[in-house]
This record gives sequence, C-alpha cells and structure tokens, in this order.
Amino acid sequence: MDEDKKEGTDAANDAPPEEISEIEKCRKERDEYLAGWQRARADFLNYKKEEMQRLAEIAKYQTEDMVKEFIGVLDNFDLALAALSESKKAPTSGEAGAGVPTPKAVGTEKGIYMIRAQMEDALRKRGLTRIPVGPGDKFDPALQEAISEEESDEPPGTVAEEMKAGYKLFDKVIRPARVKISKGPSENTQNTNNK
Amino acid sequence: MGKILGIDLGTTNSAMAVMEGGEPRILENAEGNRTTPSVVAVSKTGERLTGVLAKRQSITNPKNTVFSVKRLIGRKFSDQEVQRDKNWMPYEILEGEHGGVQVRMGDPSTDPSAVSLGTNRSGQARSHTPEEISAFILAKLKSDAEAKLGEKIEEAVITVPAYFDDSQRQATKNAGEIAGLKVRRILNEPTAAALAYGLNKHKNEQIVVYDFGGGTFDISVLEVGDDVVEVKATGGDTHLGGDDFDKKIIEFLVDEYRKQEGVDISKDPLALQRLKEAAERAKHELSVAVDTEINLPYITSDSTGPKHFLMKMTRAKLESLVKEYIEHSIELTRETVTAPAPKGAGFDLKEIDEVILVGGQTRMPAIQEAVKNLFGKEPHKGINPDEVVAVGAAVQAGILQGDVKDILLLDVTPLTLAIETLGGVATPMIPKNTTVPTSKTQVFSTAADNQTSVEVHVLQGERPMAADNRTLARFMLEGIPPSPRGVPQVEVVFDIDANGILSVTAKDKASGKSQSVRIEASTSLSKEEIEKLKKEAAEHASEDASRRELAETRNQAEQTIYLAEKAVKDAGDKIGEDVRSAVSAKIEALKKVKDEGGLEEVKSALAELSAEIQKIGQTMYNKKDDAGNPESADHPKPD
Repeated sequence: MDEDKKEGTDAANDAPPEEISEIEKCRKERDEYLAGWQRARADFLNYKKEEMQRLAEIAKYQTEDMVKEFIGVLDNFDLALAALSESKKAPTSGEAGAGVPTPKAVGTEKGIYMIRAQMEDALRKRGLTRIPVGPGDKFDPALQEAISEEESDEPPGTVAEEMKAGYKLFDKVIRPARVKISKGPSENTQNTNNK
Repeated sequence: MGKILGIDLGTTNSAMAVMEGGEPRILENAEGNRTTPSVVAVSKTGERLTGVLAKRQSITNPKNTVFSVKRLIGRKFSDQEVQRDKNWMPYEILEGEHGGVQVRMGDPSTDPSAVSLGTNRSGQARSHTPEEISAFILAKLKSDAEAKLGEKIEEAVITVPAYFDDSQRQATKNAGEIAGLKVRRILNEPTAAALAYGLNKHKNEQIVVYDFGGGTFDISVLEVGDDVVEVKATGGDTHLGGDDFDKKIIEFLVDEYRKQEGVDISKDPLALQRLKEAAERAKHELSVAVDTEINLPYITSDSTGPKHFLMKMTRAKLESLVKEYIEHSIELTRETVTAPAPKGAGFDLKEIDEVILVGGQTRMPAIQEAVKNLFGKEPHKGINPDEVVAVGAAVQAGILQGDVKDILLLDVTPLTLAIETLGGVATPMIPKNTTVPTSKTQVFSTAADNQTSVEVHVLQGERPMAADNRTLARFMLEGIPPSPRGVPQVEVVFDIDANGILSVTAKDKASGKSQSVRIEASTSLSKEEIEKLKKEAAEHASEDASRRELAETRNQAEQTIYLAEKAVKDAGDKIGEDVRSAVSAKIEALKKVKDEGGLEEVKSALAELSAEIQKIGQTMYNKKDDAGNPESADHPKPD
C-alpha cells in the first residue's frame, strides 16, 4: 500500500509541468463549481423556507383589500347611526310630543345598529380589530393620523376627538384612526378657570 | 459579504430591493408597506419620526414636517428652484454655509406648546441640511431592511434623476454615508429602469424612459453602447405629477356637487378628506374599468337633513379632465427626444428602440396609449411602475456583489415541450419558461388491448393539438407484454441539461425495456420563430380549445364504448336480451359518430350510451334483490 502511494506521488512529481498546471486548474475549477453548486443548493433551500413564510404571510393578509373596502361601509353605518340619533334630537314641529322618537324610529335605528354589528363581527373573525382611542390619549402616529387641531379641554398634543375609527388586520395597521388633536383649552376658558 | 441594498430615494416615496437567489425582491418596511413616504418630522413631543408616521402628523405639525427634500438636496440657496419651492413649502428653508440650503425642523421656538411643556431637548432646536434629512430616510430603510433580512446592511446603490448635477449626486452620496451606508454607486433612475428590464444587454439601442410619478414628470433618452448606458438628454416638468390629476378630479366633483345640491363641500375638511380618498380610488379603478361610482353617504348635512354624494364617473370623463396634462407630457417627450442638443437628444422618434414606463400614473390607459402612439411601439410596463427603479437598483447591486455572473445565468425553455397522447392531443411535459436544467417524469399507458408497442412523439409548441406543433422526434418502444388497455405502465422522462439538450426516455416498467432519443436543438429556435409560434397559439386559442374538447370527448367515447362492451360481456345472461340489444344499439350509434361527427353529436350519443349502460347494473341489482332477499346481510341464512 505504502509503496503504491509513494509511486503515485512520484508519478505526479514526475509529470511534466504543463500537466501539473492543468491538474491544478481542474482542481481549482472543481472547487469553484462545487462551491457554486453547494451555494445554489443552499440558496434554494433557504428560498424555499422564506417562500413558505411569505406564503403564510400572504395567506394571512390576502383579505386586506377586501377588508379595507368593508371598513368604508362600516364608516358609513356609523355616519347613518349618527345622523339618525341627530334627527331624533331635532324637534318635529307641530306634532304632539315633539322630540320624542317614535317606536318605529327606535326600531329602525336598532336594526341598522345590529346589521353594523353583524358586519363588524364577520370582519373580526377575519382578523380585524378596531384601534381603541379616546379623548385625552397621547397622540401616537403609529396608530393614529392627525387631521386637524382644535381647542379642547384635553391637554395640548393629546387626542381631542376620534373622527374616524382606525383598524388593524392582525398586527398591521390598515387604517390609522383619524383624530383631532387638542390645542388645549381656549384662552377664554382658561381665563374663566383661573378666575 | 453582506447584501447591497438597492434604494430608490424618491421625491414623494422611496422603495428598496435586494437580490435574492439571482432575482430582485422589493423589501417591505417595518409598517408592512412596499414604499415609504420620503417624509421626516420632529413631533411636538420632540420625537423624530420618519416615513408614514411623519406623514400622519404632518397636518397638525406642518412647520416641523419636512417632505420633498429631494427638491433641495445639493442645491444652492440662491437657485431659482429653491426660491420657487421656498414659497409653497410649509417648513422653513434657510441659507446655510457656503450658500447651501438648510431646513428648520423641531425648533421649539416655532412650537409654543413644546416650550410650555419644557421639552427643549438637546439636538432639537436646530437646522438640518437636506443631506441629513435624506439620511434619516435612508437610515430607516437600512434598519427596516436589516430587520427584514436578519443581516447587517452596509452598502447601497442609490438612484438619482438623470438631470442631477455633480453637487446633487455628491450630496445624495453624503446622505448615504451619514446613514451609515457605503454608497457603492449613484445610479441614474432611468438607467435603473432599463436595468430592471434587462435592456443593458441590448447593444446600440436608443431607450426612452417616461417617468410620471406623484409629483414630478421626468423624461430621459438613453443610449446603450458596449456595457455603458449613456444619458443623451433629459427633460420633463418638476412640478407635474399624479397629484395634479387627483386635484383635477376633486375640483370636478366639488363643482358637480355644487351644481346638483347647491352645497359647497370644499369648505368642510372632513368631507374634503373623504372626497380626496374617493377621487384617488376612482382614478385607480378607472385604470382597469371604464366606469366607477363614487358613493359617499352622509357627506354633509343642511337644514333639510343629511346629504349624500353619489356620482358615476367614466374613464372618458377622467381623460377629458386631465387631457391637457397628458398632452403636455407628450409634447415634452417629443421635444426631449427630437430637439437638437443640448436641449434634446436629436433623434428621430422612429430611431427609438425601446420605451419604458415608470411611475404610478403610467398605469392610466390613456397615458400608455399616448406614449404608444408617439413612438409607434408598445412600451415596457410589466414591472410595477412604482417599484421598477428600486428593482433596477437591486440589479445593479447584484452586478456589484457578483450575483449576476454570466455563468449563473440559466436559460429557460422558450416553448412548451409535449408528448402526443390519444386522439392527437399534445400533453405538456415541460411548460415554456421553465428554467433549465430540469427533468419531468410521467407514466402513460396503452390505448388498446394487447398493444405491444407505443409511439413516443416529442413535440414543441403552444398549441393543444399535436399536429399543430413542431415534431422534435418520434420513436417506438416495442416489446410491451400483451395486457388489457390501461394496464401497462410506460414511464416517459423528459430531461433538459444546462446546454438545452433534451433527452427523452420511455421505459416499460414491467419488462424493463427502454428506448431513448437525444435532441440537440430543443432551444435553438430564433427569437422570431419563437414569437411566431407564440402568436399563432394566441390567434388559434379558441378554435384550438374546441378541437381539444372534441378530441377529449372522442377519447371519452372510446373509453365508454370499451366499458360498455366489457359490461355486456361480463353480465352474460344476467341481463335480458332487451337490455343487451338496447346497449348494443347505443354502442353502434356512438361508434358511428365518434370519429366523424361533431362535438355535439358525439356528446349526445355518449350521454345516451352512458344512460343505457346504467340499465345493466340496475337490471342486475333488481334480479339480485328478487332472488336474493334471504341472503342479504340483515337476514343471515340459517344453516
């Protein structure tokens, strides 16, 4: 065995220099190709893993566009309910018992409210949650969008009023809550308070 | 070595991409969006905000919210552009050192509430150079990319408009360095777009890049030489963009509403906000549909009660509203291409080989049509126009980091490779655009009883019927042991190596006999031939589909006849002569029409036979029931 090895080495040493350089070149190429192949293989496996994650992510957020459209419908339900409660307050001229809503109006309002709740519930099952926000909360641009600034009793820089609800789909903010920011109380109010 | 990030640092929005597995990929930011608003702010509580967060507080904090800083970067304070922009930008623009520009942000002296709250923190009350502002955006992109990829990013390719001068380029590079990025290359935006479409490989071509973004319109004429992309001319309008389209739509809607309802909703900020969103949505929808409805219930109210906004808008109406903008952009394009140097590139419009569309507004069909008419050729628009520049920056990054080596550029099969199956149908084995080397195995069987050989007919092309495709090879596999149809298993392997050489092997699994053929020229069609074949396939799509349906129905007829004959034979005397002759009659009827008849004829004969066969089973069960009630499982037969 040892002899064989020795013979082999000798044979390589005896080889003409151009052959050795040829062998060297081949070895270098072999190493390069092997490395390239291993890298490509690893890239592919990694790609597959990432692709699986990405697919899971896509599956999770595939409803985003549709949910966004339905948020618009929820907004309009809110507007309708607000308008209804507003109209209940307004006195109906000439009628006896002005300002008292008829049972019919109360029933209609409740019906609309229930349809809205039904829709919100269906969307909640698909990962939608409403971003909680109230007057006096610290303004957080990660969850809220400021649309105007006005005087209010809340401390300056905090939320004065929520104008439009904000929503998250799982962890992603798909619409920030639209809020009015407080400038603090008006000078008149402040003066009155100070007195 | 880490990845190099490709960054499109835009006036309104920025985007980033990296090369992954040899392909560019857009990276989402921390908020999960593919583009990031190029906005930086210092909030009233002294926090620095970047991107969408900065944008969300801009209305109530306009003096400390900096946007469109790209319009200022690398410019002198005395520049005409700076003087013009200074007048409409809500934040303060000052003269800095050496006549440069500075912007004021987060200065508590401009914000009384911050002073009263005593939040005069260090580093707040100061002016920033546009480089610093851009650096905040770049730093956010860098850290979001690092979080997304889970690795450090230290180098970047950043794009700039082709008309940027040395000072603007240097300033952009400095912004990158401030953000902790080694800027490997400042790349022209139109060049990036050309790279994204792989046009840098085309030699001696003239390329026009028509970039209609949110706030700017840029036109560039490029010439591709030996691996060099030269900018021959640039033009455009730095204050024309998709936002102008939105404004036009809003104006129109407000006007119409005033006419219809007598109410001016432009004074109501909340209504205006809803209208703005609806206008943008309508604009997007009209890129795919010819009309859309703007439906905003309870937009406002007056003494008569709530008022709603409901209006139909057609694509034609939108086009007429923005016609002047589109015409203006086309005029600027013509001028930039044809005017003699230095104003333009001095080319004839016919000399332009490729046209690329960049920027979200180019999704509008009227713009695509106008550009197509100007140059008399279809523009490139396959890559998302909001992302194409970032994609191109990533391609350049890939070239720099050595990802895009020629040796690793793998070929794809230009056309589908298929095998002929029963009824002359071409059954695809390797679909077109599959990256090679690749291999595909499928098991086929025989169509007739005791068939001892099968013919393997290798085809290339997109048509569903074998006869319409090109024959690459044909060979026989003999010596299959005689057996009923459908029983033998013949495994067919299509294998293409990296050089595009196709080997097809057919092997009978029972006998182990195999036969193969090697086809050298499977991918050697010329570009024209490939296009011709694809065009033919598209032209004949509907007639091909019906022919294929006919072939498949005939195959089904054959199969049903076989089953029916077998069923009659198997049933023997268990069925009456009436049933037997009825089935036989239907078999004969189907046999008569199956080869020559039309689709409907074959279908109806087939349906009739199928119905008739069921009677065989029915009769047999009935007989069994009559005779065999005591044998049913519920009533075990007593021994």
